[in-house]
Amino acid sequence: MKGSRIWFLQRYTSVFILSYLIYLIYFIFTNDLNFFIWSDFFLSFQIRIFTSIIFILILVHSFIGLWTVGTDYLTKRTLGFLSKPLANTADILRNMYYFIFVLLGIIYLTFVLYIIWL
Amino acid sequence: MFGNKLQISLYRYNPEEDKFPYMKKYTIDKPEKDIMVLDLLHLLKEDDQSISYRRSCREGVCGSDGMNINGKNGLACITPVSSVIKNNKIELRPLPGLPVIRDLVVDMTEFYAQYEKIKPFLQNETTAPEQERLQSPEDRDKLDGLYECILCACCSTSCPSFWWNPDKFVGPAALLQAYRFLADSRDLKTQERLESLSDPFSVYRCHGIMNCVSVCPKGLNPNKAIGEIKSMLHKNKKDIIVSDGV
Repeated sequence: MKGSRIWFLQRYTSVFILSYLIYLIYFIFTNDLNFFIWSDFFLSFQIRIFTSIIFILILVHSFIGLWTVGTDYLTKRTLGFLSKPLANTADILRNMYYFIFVLLGIIYLTFVLYIIWL
Repeated sequence: MFGNKLQISLYRYNPEEDKFPYMKKYTIDKPEKDIMVLDLLHLLKEDDQSISYRRSCREGVCGSDGMNINGKNGLACITPVSSVIKNNKIELRPLPGLPVIRDLVVDMTEFYAQYEKIKPFLQNETTAPEQERLQSPEDRDKLDGLYECILCACCSTSCPSFWWNPDKFVGPAALLQAYRFLADSRDLKTQERLESLSDPFSVYRCHGIMNCVSVCPKGLNPNKAIGEIKSMLHKNKKDIIVSDGV
């Protein structure tokens, strides 16, 4: 993938996430919040769609960030600063790190969609 | 604590004798005049001939004596002791992130490999004019702040992205030079140069923390050049001006 696509993806997703947060904060502060208002808010079809999309975008955004962290710190070179045996396991560690993130992401998204839609 | 004495903590490593690098402390009389850090090293070397460091022009032109002075990269020959001294102490280490050959001498192979990667020469295959390829004064102005780089590596070795990925991230010094040729109206390989920088590492590992700007001994701004390269990469390819040699 081109670097510019990843760069734009990270920035566009952050703008959408921010707009969602601002809308949510605006709703909280302009309503006399209680359980019924809050659940009515999330029963709206548009909010459900908006929330679902935003949570997918959060996953995309955080994966780009964590991929950057993984390719910076979980490499043969960087782990080699700590110890040589550790450096030899760098590729395995990094792939495990991605696997755990993807797994947690799928579980998290399943929960979010389940709570919102069912 | 040290009165008129100056305490210098120097990074020492001789791979033929030492198993690990270590910091050696030297105490000398405080010089009467404000001298440069390089002069301080000369004073130390008079007593201890085994100290190794690179130097050549001793006036900030050759870029040989880049080192880490009290935690900040700089050229020893143009850094006055008074500007870096803290409690009469100075700590001198090699440029960070590069393999140490001996004492303050580092192996700059990775740094030069990145420089080579950006093809730091004018690429113009059209027939050369009789005298020279002319530029308008405005086009020439675009190269100011770019061509002055002396490749001392102070910027690239202060960049964490370069520490972690020196084989993939081009680094601020080479990116400054990459933009120097992207901005040159006489160079005709703009599209090819941009293509070679378009992967997720070469340019995009720069997160703009601006260490490079804060340490550059020539006062250059690699971060701005990197921003310009990103802007060129972000433009639609149809919009990228590929000069037709006219």
